[in-house]
Amino acid sequence: MIEYIIKIKRKTKNIFTDRWVWRMAWRDARHNYSRLMLFTASLITGIAAVVALDSLNQSLQKDIDDNAKELLGADLVVNGDKKFVPEVRTLFDSLKYPQASEADMASMVLFLNNGQSRLIRLVALKGNFPFYGEIETQPSNAYRKVKDGKYAMLDETLASQFEVSSDDSIRIGNSVFKVSGVVKKIPGGGGIMTTFTPSVYISLDHLDSTGLVQFGSRVNYKQYFKIYSEKQKAATVEKIRPILRKHGYGFDTVEERKEDLGEGFQSIYRFFSLLAFVALILGCIGVASSVHIYAREKREEVAVLRCVGSSGWQAFNIFFIQIFLLGIVGSIVGSLIGVGIQQLIPYFLDGVIPFDLTFSVSWQSLLLGLLIGTVVSVLFSILPLVGVRFVPPLSVLRTDSKPVRIFSKTKVVAIILIALFPMAFAAIQTKSILTGLMFFLGLVAALACLTVVAILLLMVVRRFFPHQAGFIWRHSLSSLFRPNNQTRVLMVTIGLGAFIISTLNIVEQSMLSQVEFTGQENQSNTILFDIQPSQKDGVIRLMEENKLNVNQVVPIITCRLSELRGRTVDSLQRDTSDRVPNWALTREYRITYRDTLHHSEELIKGKVQYRATAGDSVFVTISEGMEENLEVKIGDSLVFDVQGVPVKAYISGVRKVEWPKDPPNFIFVFPTGVLESAPQIYVTATRIDDQAQANKFQQALVMQFPNVSLIDLRLILNTVNELFNKLGLIIRFLALFSIITGLVVLAGAVINSKFVRIKENVLLRTVGARTSQITQITLIEYAYLGLFSALTGMILSLAGGWLLTKFFFEITFAFDWIELSIIGGGVVLLTMAIGWFNSREVISTPPLQVLRKES
Amino acid sequence: MSQIVLQAENLTKIYRSADRDLVVLNEISFAVEQGNSISIIGPSGSGKTTLLGLCAGLDTPSSGTISLMGFKLNNMSEDDRAYIRNQYVGFVFQNFQLLSTLTALENVMVPLELRGERNVMPKAKELLHRVGLADRVHHYPSQLSGGEQQRVAMARAFMTDPKILFADEPTGNLDEENATHITDLLFGLNKEQGTTLVLVTHNLELAQRTQRILRMKGGHLVQDIYSPSIAR
Repeated sequence: MIEYIIKIKRKTKNIFTDRWVWRMAWRDARHNYSRLMLFTASLITGIAAVVALDSLNQSLQKDIDDNAKELLGADLVVNGDKKFVPEVRTLFDSLKYPQASEADMASMVLFLNNGQSRLIRLVALKGNFPFYGEIETQPSNAYRKVKDGKYAMLDETLASQFEVSSDDSIRIGNSVFKVSGVVKKIPGGGGIMTTFTPSVYISLDHLDSTGLVQFGSRVNYKQYFKIYSEKQKAATVEKIRPILRKHGYGFDTVEERKEDLGEGFQSIYRFFSLLAFVALILGCIGVASSVHIYAREKREEVAVLRCVGSSGWQAFNIFFIQIFLLGIVGSIVGSLIGVGIQQLIPYFLDGVIPFDLTFSVSWQSLLLGLLIGTVVSVLFSILPLVGVRFVPPLSVLRTDSKPVRIFSKTKVVAIILIALFPMAFAAIQTKSILTGLMFFLGLVAALACLTVVAILLLMVVRRFFPHQAGFIWRHSLSSLFRPNNQTRVLMVTIGLGAFIISTLNIVEQSMLSQVEFTGQENQSNTILFDIQPSQKDGVIRLMEENKLNVNQVVPIITCRLSELRGRTVDSLQRDTSDRVPNWALTREYRITYRDTLHHSEELIKGKVQYRATAGDSVFVTISEGMEENLEVKIGDSLVFDVQGVPVKAYISGVRKVEWPKDPPNFIFVFPTGVLESAPQIYVTATRIDDQAQANKFQQALVMQFPNVSLIDLRLILNTVNELFNKLGLIIRFLALFSIITGLVVLAGAVINSKFVRIKENVLLRTVGARTSQITQITLIEYAYLGLFSALTGMILSLAGGWLLTKFFFEITFAFDWIELSIIGGGVVLLTMAIGWFNSREVISTPPLQVLRKES
Repeated sequence: MSQIVLQAENLTKIYRSADRDLVVLNEISFAVEQGNSISIIGPSGSGKTTLLGLCAGLDTPSSGTISLMGFKLNNMSEDDRAYIRNQYVGFVFQNFQLLSTLTALENVMVPLELRGERNVMPKAKELLHRVGLADRVHHYPSQLSGGEQQRVAMARAFMTDPKILFADEPTGNLDEENATHITDLLFGLNKEQGTTLVLVTHNLELAQRTQRILRMKGGHLVQDIYSPSIAR
């Protein structure tokens, strides 16, 4: 025998030069559209989410940059909750820049056209505000009229709500104003706050005529400046800062407003980034899962190719090329869909942000989508595809042959890159390595928790399997445990979507429950405030005439802190090492005195001095949380400046206050016997259930006591509801991405298990099962899957919601079983619909046709 | 002297499981000369298919050596063995093993295309014509009957003019008429091209058409007959 060659010298070609693998990739792909479509759909969903949200973030940032000056309306604004003191006024006069003034306060307005009234924010303007941007009104001369005469402009929402038009009249305090028009847009205005308290604009010259500014009234004063250069602005800020600080005033510049707004939007960016991250990761799971199934199905084909002489890499390259090219196509389609979705998002955000969101295509986001899509398709398909290289050719003879090799360097590198990818992506998205790491860990924790819950649920089902149940119920349940059914992956992905939506619902319910104290029996739902001592008896009489219970009449004294722990506020302000925030030192405190604890509060530390007699030291209680802000503990002293009179007191206890419950509630509560003779105003509360009765009472109140304001808590409840509906809509819309990805994975699993199902169904039909029974089995199986997925997500959402409400929002945890059940039901129905849609062929195929195919 | 194209020396294959070792082939030795036809027969579980897999380089022995066309397969990598298969070996399987996503013509072209050869279509068409499927070249395997699929597999096997053809129960899934057709084709091409034929079968009638019969039992080679008739 001749030994021809000892060592084989075969030519190896790389993926770019081996034309055969490209040809085979194309030939093979022609017949795998549906399977490859799944891979593409997963990718498209993830990329669409990334591009839409990233593009939205870019637009928001660009709009904030472009609108910064218009958002403030000036270069510099000084603000405070008290009239500008002479020293500050002199300072303003010394600045030779254009100035404008504003005072705003809460007030009631009576619409004379229909006799209805409402609490509004009264904005009194003087000067040429705004210096940047413009006030858009309808008609266009409305603002001119306000400046020149006794006219008022209304926010558009308020005017349409109370059907007020130009030339109608409104009453504010003691004065009647003619309506000059509605405000469509105003610098610094708009946004979500307009929904809570719509504004009415008048001239500052007419504010006094309303008689609203009285002792105890809470008025915010602003002085706007137009400063021509940055240098002048810096010099002005340096000049005014110490004097403003001394008197407890603040100031805002365009940069600070931009920064504040940016910070405010940080959480929105982060939230959007988190959603994009979740959607992308789900897309990655979908990619990996569909390629895994695809590669497994290709085992036999690969074995044949190996038999006829293909190398492991050649076999790998055939499928890699398919995935790579489709990945690029999917990324392009996903990016374009993302841009389309971005066009829709401003509609959801309308009225939530204080400026019009402009639509622009962010090329950066588009490129990011293309890049990420390609990286994802390569990275997440390599791992499942690597196995193709090691398919033994012996499989053509024995299907149970083991792979020739299991360890591969490519596999190890792929695993490392897959672990790094989510972290890198999140870090790029959030521009912070730490946040990226937190996202990653959070996702790992969430997926781990979901997996654990899914495993436990399936274990429970197995443990308590209903052996006595009817055949259809039993068979469809046991189908969940079919090999390659991907039940756990599906429960985790669909469960993640359910988790996001139900967590949102729990947070929403918890927040609403804070306001819904008003819905409970005997709880006040109407608060009357700014009642002067001389008006107290009259207001009570009016309430009694309207058959309203007077639930509480509380005196309120306004004061400021002058000393804390033996140090003056001035010295604390100067001390840079002191950590007490300036606002806590300089703010106006509204305090009360009483000899009982109100039922909305509970003493959690120390004790309460209910009554003080002359000569006693005065002990006050402080609300929980504020003692941390002021850094005081029991026994520490404070000196309050009560209208010029110093009152020394000591902290004796800390109260836990349920703020929304039966307001008003207070930070500081004095014992009786100390402040009775101090200048004070009153607040009272009642409960009105009938709208007609409410309207009648409000009208009488505004007529008789124009300075007294009334808060209808039901209105606030409705507004909170409205806000949540608006925010909830966008969050649900975005959470839909994860649900869709879950459903894509589900559709994949259904399509890939079709063959097994067909075989099962043929067997069932052979032994006499009817089509209706097979349909029932299929539908019930998906109902189980949907139910378990929903349960997986919702069990975790109860835990997540509790953590969020307890530690992040610091509110009482509450949830609504009915709403959660509706969410769960929705998930079940969606899963059933997708399952059924993809199983129609399985259900309707005649057995003979299947048997022929089989043979 | 005829050239030896396949030589097995002391071939042993042991499958290791948790509790015991299963010896499926035990010290098998034989050699096959160029152009010969040989059949491996024996009851189920006797080791026929394992022996075929080892001889074709689809698997590696636990001990012993295999030389195929003078190449020692034992120490070769899987990709090198694939190269040897592509250059010298053809296969025909009981369950046809066509690529379901490729047409009949494309299936036949694959082995030559893998070599990087161009303009292989005329040869593939001619072979398909030869096996009686000239009008079915663009059909997919699912559109062909079992007999037609096996004929496509035959055309694919002969596409590279292999030095040696391994056939595992080539008529096992076919009716009598198709089986006869396939067998005639197999031996006809074997004769025409001088291809060595190694056949695994249960079918004694088929085995008797080969020049030599190896009878396996319990992993042992129990008979090696150079005669067209076989003792029962």
